Amino acid sequence: MDNYYIMQIINGLAQGSIYALMAIGYSVVVGVVGLVTFTHGEVIMLGAYAAYYTFTFIGENIVLGMLASFLAAWLVGVVVYKICYEKFFDSPRHIPLICTIGLSMLLKNLAQIIFGPNMKAMPQPINLKFYNISGVRINTIQILIFATVLVLSLGLYILNNKTRWGIQLRAVSQDRKAAALMGINVNRTTLIGNSIGCSLGGVAGMLLSIYYQSLVPTMGGILGLKAFSSSVLGGLTEAPASALGGVLIGLTENLGISVLSNSYRDVFAFVFLVLVLTIRPQGFSRKVVGRP
Amino acid sequence: MIENVHRKIKAFYERHSIKVNIILILISILLPYIINSNYIVGILCRVLMYSVLAGSLNIINGYSGQFNIGHAGFFCIGAYTEAVLATRYGWNFWLLLLIAGIFTSLVGFLISLPTLRLRGIYLAIVTLGFSEIIRIIALNWTSVTGGPMGVKGIPSPIFLGIRISGSSRYYYIFLALAILFIFITNRVITSRIGRAWISIREDELAAKSLGVESSFYKSINFMYGAFWAGVMGAAYAPYYKFIASDMFTLDEGFNILSMVIIGGQGTLVGPFVGSLIVNIITEVFRFAAQYRMVVYAILIITMMWLRPQGLVGAYDSILAGNRARRKLKRKPVKVGDK
Repeated sequence: MDNYYIMQIINGLAQGSIYALMAIGYSVVVGVVGLVTFTHGEVIMLGAYAAYYTFTFIGENIVLGMLASFLAAWLVGVVVYKICYEKFFDSPRHIPLICTIGLSMLLKNLAQIIFGPNMKAMPQPINLKFYNISGVRINTIQILIFATVLVLSLGLYILNNKTRWGIQLRAVSQDRKAAALMGINVNRTTLIGNSIGCSLGGVAGMLLSIYYQSLVPTMGGILGLKAFSSSVLGGLTEAPASALGGVLIGLTENLGISVLSNSYRDVFAFVFLVLVLTIRPQGFSRKVVGRP
Repeated sequence: MIENVHRKIKAFYERHSIKVNIILILISILLPYIINSNYIVGILCRVLMYSVLAGSLNIINGYSGQFNIGHAGFFCIGAYTEAVLATRYGWNFWLLLLIAGIFTSLVGFLISLPTLRLRGIYLAIVTLGFSEIIRIIALNWTSVTGGPMGVKGIPSPIFLGIRISGSSRYYYIFLALAILFIFITNRVITSRIGRAWISIREDELAAKSLGVESSFYKSINFMYGAFWAGVMGAAYAPYYKFIASDMFTLDEGFNILSMVIIGGQGTLVGPFVGSLIVNIITEVFRFAAQYRMVVYAILIITMMWLRPQGLVGAYDSILAGNRARRKLKRKPVKVGDK
């Protein structure tokens, strides 16, 4: 009995780590662009497919898979920026929002046409081994997930806080016009920031499809919602708090299915979101919610 | 240019509204006899049904600027309410239209509560999540909804002793509901409530400072839109005689949203135009159904780039974006003006 709950907690942490990576990417996008997006789920899905085709045609090398999903998501990020954001920064915010909905529909349906609508089995680039650490079983896939998420999060932290470019990114996040006055190339910074957020989402997509051993073109919708839910928990534009939100949602899901049926697992994330919005709209953040 | 045509048509309609209305209603009533094709009347039924569905979404998105993209959830609740109560308890169809609408609007009220204090963006995500929650519940709550197998054998409505079944007769139910929706909604839109909604859409802060209780009117707006989605769900269920949860996916919500965005937001006629266009696309692309959503998506993006308010949307509102407003403001300066 105790072992079962510990196992679910480990599962929750692993899944939550992936959600955390998705949420970090999402909050970077929202922070730098200043607009929420509906395309993040599709970016995650395309990252997964990039890894899938790399494993299938080039070889089951985890590093190549990560590079492929990272780069594919980066490219999609550029496309999203060009179509949905670049000319709409001074427009009412519902217009780019609807644009991202349209692009999300487009990407999903094109993926169904190009990749086929059926579920595919994800090649497993890492041999599945189990380790016993003081009575707790953990496997290589979970270790891969924890390691990848930690490395990427640390990398993003260093980029944001220890480099000149990161300072520019944070300046643009805070105030686009003031940043422009300070001589920062706002458009290029926004484009790259958006692409970085998307790339993190792409890697998360790869990790998730390895974890679930499968991928399907329609997986993006639910994942986008979970990325947003995690981000909302973290106050929407704060990456560390969003990461915590992702972990919490992963835990909520896995412990939730201990109580109810597995069929309801996706409901928990959204019920959780509604509760948070009702009780504490700013999530973990101490800031009062302004205009998202 | 299109705005000028729009204005002229509008002016013409306003001058001859009673005659135009009568003629349009007569044409609509006679259409099944003129066309005399079950296939085309079936398409007309879909157009009418989706017109009201898109119209009810437009009430929320187009008139008060809230952002609901999970409208399929309300549609689902209405359909299941009618289906379950009709098959299990044999309740009367006409009564069930009202019951389904009211029940769905109550759910709409509950959905609007968590986000009253927040901007519409959160509402967009919550409505999307809500739509998926409803579908998952309908899929798994087997004891009530029949689970994956859905609800079968939904009885047809009876009117003056006549069983209404098949598209040529059911057309008149959809037509009556569409006319009723337009009539009531027009009255609401031109009332104090409608003006409050529009002021919230244009600038909520300014509306509040002028005394508009925005939380109250946003909740009412959501309930009103949900009500009509529930009614159309209730009308939809006996028409098809069978409903299952996969009829009400996120794709269905996006489908309805497509009609509003393409046809036009913030006007009564927009969703009807959108429904017509999208359903025609559906039929034209039936041979390649997988490309249908691609076409919708491209149309949405194109519309946002070129004409954010939609084909016949409210061109002088915030829905049109800043460019349209700047155009309106720029007028030639006459010689001699101060």
